[in-house]
Amino acid sequence: MRTRAILGSILASASVLIVGYQAGTAVTTANGSSLTLPVGEVTNGSTSGSTSSGATTPETSTAPTTSTNTGTETSGTVASGPADGTYTGSSINTRFGAVQVQLTIAGGSISEVTALHLTDEDGRSIQISNRAAPVLRSEIIASQSTAVSNVSGATYTTQAYLASVQSALDQAGAS
Amino acid sequence: MSTQVRPRAATARPRTARAAVATAYEYRRNFARRARLSDLLVTALWASGAAAAALFLASGGVDQFSSVAETVTSIGIVAGLIGTDFILVMLVLAARIPLIDRTIGHDRAIAVHRSLGKPALYLLLAHGALLLTGYGLSSGINPIAEIGPMLSLPDMPLAFIALGLLIAVVVTSVVAVRRRFSYEGWHLVHLLSYVSVAFALPHQLSVGGVLADGTLQRVYWIALYVVALGSIVTFRFVEPLVSSLRHRMRVAAVTTIAPGVTTIHLAGNDLRGLEASGGQFFIWRFWAPRTWWHSHPISLSAMPTNSSARITIRDLGTGSAQLSAVPVGTRVSIEGPYGLFSSTARTSPKLTIIAAGIGVTPVRALLEHASFAPGEATILLRASTPDEAYHWDEIKAIAAAKGATCYTMIGHRPRGIESWMSHADAARGVSLSTAFPDITDSDVYLCGPTAWLDLVEADVRATGIRPHQIHAERFDW
Repeated sequence: MRTRAILGSILASASVLIVGYQAGTAVTTANGSSLTLPVGEVTNGSTSGSTSSGATTPETSTAPTTSTNTGTETSGTVASGPADGTYTGSSINTRFGAVQVQLTIAGGSISEVTALHLTDEDGRSIQISNRAAPVLRSEIIASQSTAVSNVSGATYTTQAYLASVQSALDQAGAS
Repeated sequence: MSTQVRPRAATARPRTARAAVATAYEYRRNFARRARLSDLLVTALWASGAAAAALFLASGGVDQFSSVAETVTSIGIVAGLIGTDFILVMLVLAARIPLIDRTIGHDRAIAVHRSLGKPALYLLLAHGALLLTGYGLSSGINPIAEIGPMLSLPDMPLAFIALGLLIAVVVTSVVAVRRRFSYEGWHLVHLLSYVSVAFALPHQLSVGGVLADGTLQRVYWIALYVVALGSIVTFRFVEPLVSSLRHRMRVAAVTTIAPGVTTIHLAGNDLRGLEASGGQFFIWRFWAPRTWWHSHPISLSAMPTNSSARITIRDLGTGSAQLSAVPVGTRVSIEGPYGLFSSTARTSPKLTIIAAGIGVTPVRALLEHASFAPGEATILLRASTPDEAYHWDEIKAIAAAKGATCYTMIGHRPRGIESWMSHADAARGVSLSTAFPDITDSDVYLCGPTAWLDLVEADVRATGIRPHQIHAERFDW
């Protein structure tokens, strides 16, 4: 019966590991093709980058209109009225790759956040940052500030993303 | 507050007539069921470790091993997952879950708990070191310099504290170190493990990508935490509290039966409802000014009636010396019953019992509770001096009533030879096979001081008996 315990343990452990391995490869192959796209090339200029926003900004038109009215009053960061325009934040390096965003200010409030570059050290980072970026984008637009909560499991991306947004806000003259 | 001692007459029921003696087949079937469950628990333990590693594989597959830095980081994450899984398994083992206690017994559960302590700590230390190295490698700085950036992440300071606390908990539990502490001091440090487990959780959920929001991995991991902490809260705190409040035990009488040996009689409500089996122990706490801070694991020395129970203790530690002076009327809180030194562990119809010194106390209750046909049980009571013949008269009376043979052996062990027997009997040529001709097809219950018991157990094993037929309880107080 000790042998039964040992055999049972080996069998159970092996099958659990195989299931985990299968699940892991399924994740990477399913997402691999679509996820590697947006971060294919780094764009540093302030005018380009719209091609890479496809994956991260699903509803570009609806988000700004809802938040423009109240946004300017509630947010401390943009209250002093930044100048309208498009600003490119600094590129923030993390151990999983650089993060850089582009900020669009319209009517004195943040109307769009576009990811120019996201963490892409490996397949896993791409997966994580592609999950985190839309969440961060919508939270920043909704709160009109960088005071948004950490996206769990994507701490590095969150921190770098927010730092890049803040640097763009600084450029826009929001103090 | 008034004591509610029910005025029911404490008539001892004729226990021999109560339960029909189980057949050999029933004992075998019962043991097979327990063995199956025990194997299942072992399997679950190892599978949970594998599952922790599988969580990592499921979250990204093998492409997380493509560079040196990544490989180091990945191994570090797996080490952390398995180490934490072990810690949670340790909590489950220490939770005194009735199913686990009935299957492998409290002693073995704690033994496994102990054996996991160091591996878990090493895995978690490796986790920290490997991640610092891996992160450092990918950002081009040395692991020590990586500590700074690491600490700046949310939840990471807590994780560092958690690891520090875990080191303290394991180091104080290493046998050599533990001897320097009083039980209370050690226990206080050990309680920090709950803090450590709690502090380690946030960084697992926020920093790592393995347990990211919305994944099945996260659900599984949180479920593990709920099971581990839930069983601790339920079986270590809620259940004992409810049981103590329900049975309302108080000290009814304290009697010294021999130099340094005291029986404590307890009164309470519905004590049969405790469903204690003869030979099991409770962890007792006596709420008197000098004793409340100290709890003691002590076996019942008689089967409880519905309104009374009895324990017998010998003054060894300072704590147990104070127990013999505990005032009548003191409230008593209990945790239990625990232990497999009882009829639950029986595997065959025949019974062999060998007990020495204060080790006779659980044996006294075990014999009272055990079912066997007349002539199928043999007891050997062992003492160094006639003064140590605690409760022997009671045991002899029960043995006579139930048709068991009872031998006694008084005298010091022979000098120079490793023997558990008295000098006189060893010289006479007494051996296990002369005293217990049927020993190989009976259940052997051994209880006594560690040094003595080790000798008896070795002798019993030498008869070729199967290990599961031996039930030993080391009993030093």
